[in-house]
Amino acid sequence: MFLHHLKYDILSMLRTKALVIWLIIFPIVLGIFFKVAFGSVYEKEVKFDAVPAAVVEEEKDPYFAAAAKALSEGDDPFMELTYTDEKEALSLLKNGKVKGIIYAGGELRLSVAGSGSGETMLKVFADSYNAQRKVIVDTAENDPARLPKVIEALSQEISPATKVSVTDGNTDLYNQYFFNLLAMVALYGSLLGINITLYNQADLSPLSARKSCSPAHRFTGLLATLVSCILMETVCMTISVTFLHFVLDVDLGKHMGLVYLTSILGGILGVAIGFFIGACNSFSFNTKVGISMVFSMLACFLSGLMIGNIKPFIQQHCPIVNDINPAALISDSIYCLNICSDYRRFTIKIVTMAAMTAVLMILGLICTRRKKYASL
Amino acid sequence: MENTVVKIDSLVKRYGDLIALDHFSLEIKEGEIFGLLGPNGSGKTTTINCLLSLLAFDKGDIKIFGKEMTPTSYDIKKDIGVIMQNVAVFDELTVYENIDYFCGLYITDKAERKKCVDEAVRFVGLEDFLKFRPKKLSGGLLRRLNIACGIAHKPKLIILDEPTVAVDPQSRNKILEGIQELNARGATVIYTSHYMEEVEKICTRIAIMDKGKKIAEGTKDQLKRMIKNTETITVEVLGLTDEVISQIAGLPHIYDHSYDGSLLTVFCSGGKHNLIRVMEVLQKNDLSFGRVYTELPTLNDVFLEITGKALRDKED
Repeated sequence: MFLHHLKYDILSMLRTKALVIWLIIFPIVLGIFFKVAFGSVYEKEVKFDAVPAAVVEEEKDPYFAAAAKALSEGDDPFMELTYTDEKEALSLLKNGKVKGIIYAGGELRLSVAGSGSGETMLKVFADSYNAQRKVIVDTAENDPARLPKVIEALSQEISPATKVSVTDGNTDLYNQYFFNLLAMVALYGSLLGINITLYNQADLSPLSARKSCSPAHRFTGLLATLVSCILMETVCMTISVTFLHFVLDVDLGKHMGLVYLTSILGGILGVAIGFFIGACNSFSFNTKVGISMVFSMLACFLSGLMIGNIKPFIQQHCPIVNDINPAALISDSIYCLNICSDYRRFTIKIVTMAAMTAVLMILGLICTRRKKYASL
Repeated sequence: MENTVVKIDSLVKRYGDLIALDHFSLEIKEGEIFGLLGPNGSGKTTTINCLLSLLAFDKGDIKIFGKEMTPTSYDIKKDIGVIMQNVAVFDELTVYENIDYFCGLYITDKAERKKCVDEAVRFVGLEDFLKFRPKKLSGGLLRRLNIACGIAHKPKLIILDEPTVAVDPQSRNKILEGIQELNARGATVIYTSHYMEEVEKICTRIAIMDKGKKIAEGTKDQLKRMIKNTETITVEVLGLTDEVISQIAGLPHIYDHSYDGSLLTVFCSGGKHNLIRVMEVLQKNDLSFGRVYTELPTLNDVFLEITGKALRDKED
């Protein structure tokens, strides 16, 4: 009976045009769009010279000094820093000798005269430094031995042009968009998850009402639809990762196996979200689809799918959002696989995703356990 | 027609302040085609949903095949076929796949299932549409698919909830004939409709519902005997004077009449040769007339007389 349900659930989903469009075609098209849009930008950026900037030290800040040193030295430096006073710095900026003035001492402030890519990169540096300064200070106070490593990680994170040998992946700024694209495909799994209730909750459709009248055990049907959604989402995630990596040549790092597994787990989380959205309320099916889409897009927006710098901003002002935002968790997990040499942060993200999946599935099951309805 | 297949005892279902079923009771015997007739909103579908244990009800008792019906009464459910008011099929599956899917919920043996599916396909006449998706089917064919999905497993009790809504007359007749054939093969049928002609045509026993209550029950003849009217005579005639009308009204067994300037309608209660007597009056007064016809009482007349209003579809 389980296989009978499974066969037709999969067949039905595979033939649902909306699902194929949103879960397979749309991500491929968006991936191509990203590649076309960012590909040329990246090509330009890797050839960038170091960005000239003036530093005005309002207070001595050893952490900034260490980070600045890491970013302005080496074969392919990110910045070319000139330490000076404010008057001289303003003069340099006015004459176009520097792209911006960094005011160091506590939280960084930045003053720029234009809006070019150099200025943008300085802004990225300032934002990222401010977002991670607390981590740097905490590490310096509690575990000074790890400080160089943390600063190195920061360097890698904010420098789109630097490839540091201590990482076994890449730190291309624009890869974030592709990671978020994968997060989006995963969260679109919620569109599949809603089907679990559509196919099995008698008050949602005549189809499920008819199924409820049959002698087939309700849980068997529910489980079969759940498994079919997970299988379908697994296929979609696999297609997306494969297309990005092997067709569009997006560098997803050296741990491709883990990237696949992370993406699939993200997809299962998406299915669980859809299952919960479908089960926890009595709205119509279309309303549930709407809720699911809005949630997915909002989560992806907050994770940086549309505006790349939003995640550091959220990390600075409300870090809990990044800790529970499923899109951020998925994209961060893949990001961690690319830049971290240890798996601690990656593991935390994965465990959080697995826990969220389990909780949402259990809540979904609790909400759908009812067998009779007050109204149909 | 001995065994009781369905027994509903004093069923009460409320939606907030609205009482959808008000101490509704029913007993359906094996081999019957039992009609639940009533206007839209009278409680027919609510009754069916309670019967199938889809809806929770406030009070009452439901037994099918002598056993209490619950959501987990799988042994009862395997012998029930349901054809819902709304077409309940997968839009993405073909005609054959849909029937196979629903039949598979009842029959696990593949060979047996294939036989049943093929038989159901033939029964509803969808042999030429096996690979069609539901969206490609006309309204009538779609309803036939809906029926095939409900009867493929050869149930002992078939519940049809308004299966002919929005169906063309040709398909409607085919559906009605099919239901009679299923009954002839041994299935007990519960048929809900607000189309009195359908119920009158196929049902062996009928319950008339209104506002959640059963207002009458019996065979169609029994129901018709419950009311005063036995015959309605209609004559197209012009220039009828008050004197002639009063002569007609004074004839025996005539209890009511109406005249709108061209159409005379006479309502009779019992008696023989009422039409001849009306014709004689017209002839005696040297009046020429056009079409003349008589009608026996319909279930709508029954409904009208009991509730004081027509069945809503008639009104529409």
